[in-house]
Amino acid sequence: MPSPPLIAIVEDDAAMRQALADLIEVVGFEARAFDSGESFLASHAPGRFGCLITDLNLLGESGLQLRRRLQALEPSLPVIIISAQANPGARALALRCGAFAYLTKPVSDQVLLQHLNRALGQATPQA
Amino acid sequence: MPPQPRSLIASLPIPLWDVDAQAAGRIFDRLRAEGVTDLDAHLRRHPDLVDLACEIVVVTEANRDAVELMGAADPSALLRPVSYLFSMARETARRIMLAHFAGRRNHVEEAKIRTFDGRVRDVLFLVTFPVPGEQLDTTLLMMIDNTARLEAEARLRQIEADFSHAARLSTLGQMTASIAHEIKQPLSAILTNAETSLRWLAKPDPNLPKVRQLAERIAASAQLAADIIARIQDMAGKRQPRHGRLDLNDVIREALNFTRHDSEERSIRTRLDLAANLPPTIGERIQLQQVVVNLLVNSAQALEAVPPQEREIQVATYRADPGSAAFSIRDTGPGIPADDLERIFGGFYSTKAGGMGIGLTICQSIVAAHGGTITAGNLPGRGAEFRVVLPPNLA
Repeated sequence: MPSPPLIAIVEDDAAMRQALADLIEVVGFEARAFDSGESFLASHAPGRFGCLITDLNLLGESGLQLRRRLQALEPSLPVIIISAQANPGARALALRCGAFAYLTKPVSDQVLLQHLNRALGQATPQA
Repeated sequence: MPPQPRSLIASLPIPLWDVDAQAAGRIFDRLRAEGVTDLDAHLRRHPDLVDLACEIVVVTEANRDAVELMGAADPSALLRPVSYLFSMARETARRIMLAHFAGRRNHVEEAKIRTFDGRVRDVLFLVTFPVPGEQLDTTLLMMIDNTARLEAEARLRQIEADFSHAARLSTLGQMTASIAHEIKQPLSAILTNAETSLRWLAKPDPNLPKVRQLAERIAASAQLAADIIARIQDMAGKRQPRHGRLDLNDVIREALNFTRHDSEERSIRTRLDLAANLPPTIGERIQLQQVVVNLLVNSAQALEAVPPQEREIQVATYRADPGSAAFSIRDTGPGIPADDLERIFGGFYSTKAGGMGIGLTICQSIVAAHGGTITAGNLPGRGAEFRVVLPPNLA
């Protein structure tokens, strides 16, 4: 049996970070959670992660840096953004910047897992 | 017909009573003969002596203004025992007796009176006692009606409170996105943890210790959300100011909670430098928070003029002159134009289109009400600096 995909979570809110990691694990994936883009990049290697889930504002400074570095290191890594910002401008910009999906908080598990599975290019795992 | 000769009392343009206090004098003489030296203690043991004095001391003359103040039909209504003057101010009567007994020349205090037509007036009582050797026991009693002034002051305080409440609402209004974000964080965690729990419970071999842990986290996040809402209600609510002992560092931290997300959205780095062993200060927590929030909002707006990578706000607390707590807020914005430094706290000062410019005025009035000072200046390099020094806590 192939090892389950490893999902990276970058989220500065500790409670949300843990919650996302637990959700990823209950559906049979593995999760690694990071509190900043820098700590994620420090542990990043091309091919290591199947998907990146982050609340980082990709238009902000740290988000911008992360995007640039990822563009250079692993442009194919799908990035799912879960933002508390619901405005359409932020969503459109994020998608134009190459985000795989832009979801707004609070996000339902079904919606998140659907996008995650599409990002990973595989069938919906059984809960 | 030549004008009637009028007594001095009748001609003075102030409510005035001429009182015959000889009866009180006789009581005092008797008490002294009995060896009473501490009338205060004696009156506490025999409180009805005050009532007795109010009945045996009588008004002999009262002028036109006194009649008007009392809402009486004519002066004769006032020529009675003085008890009607003290129906709402028994303690005033007692203190007047003490002053008389002690041989003072005057007694002045604020009191309330009830007029004959049922109104309550706030007055300043001024009593002038006869000095032995002068005219026989003629005591003069004057009143200054302070009702209008006190009402005006109360109205002014109400307007100030409404104004600062409106300013708080306006500040909160500017931060709705930030507040929504703050509350969405714990709600998101609650939702995800609940859904994860349900997924575990739906499995044939549910991981119950994990579900228990998730339930605990749900409870913690719910508590956090409730705390955030309570904080916002504190800010938004109309409430009586509550002054108390507080730690300025806490006030700063609470204020930063409000602006943190907004600062992040604007790519502003916030540096915090809180002094240890800061002297405690006496103040109104929400109002001082409002000062800090307003200054932070002001700095954040100033930073719109510089590129994101240069946006920084430094918040520092420090000990100012003996025992007084102070803080400064510096930004790396364009600074305050020299011409504006003088009028920056002057009300409705704003460099921002659509800005009301009341933020700094509110800061000034709150700090002044606390007995502190607020100053604005420019830093040598660039950027503005606001300093707030609170008075030493003498309590």
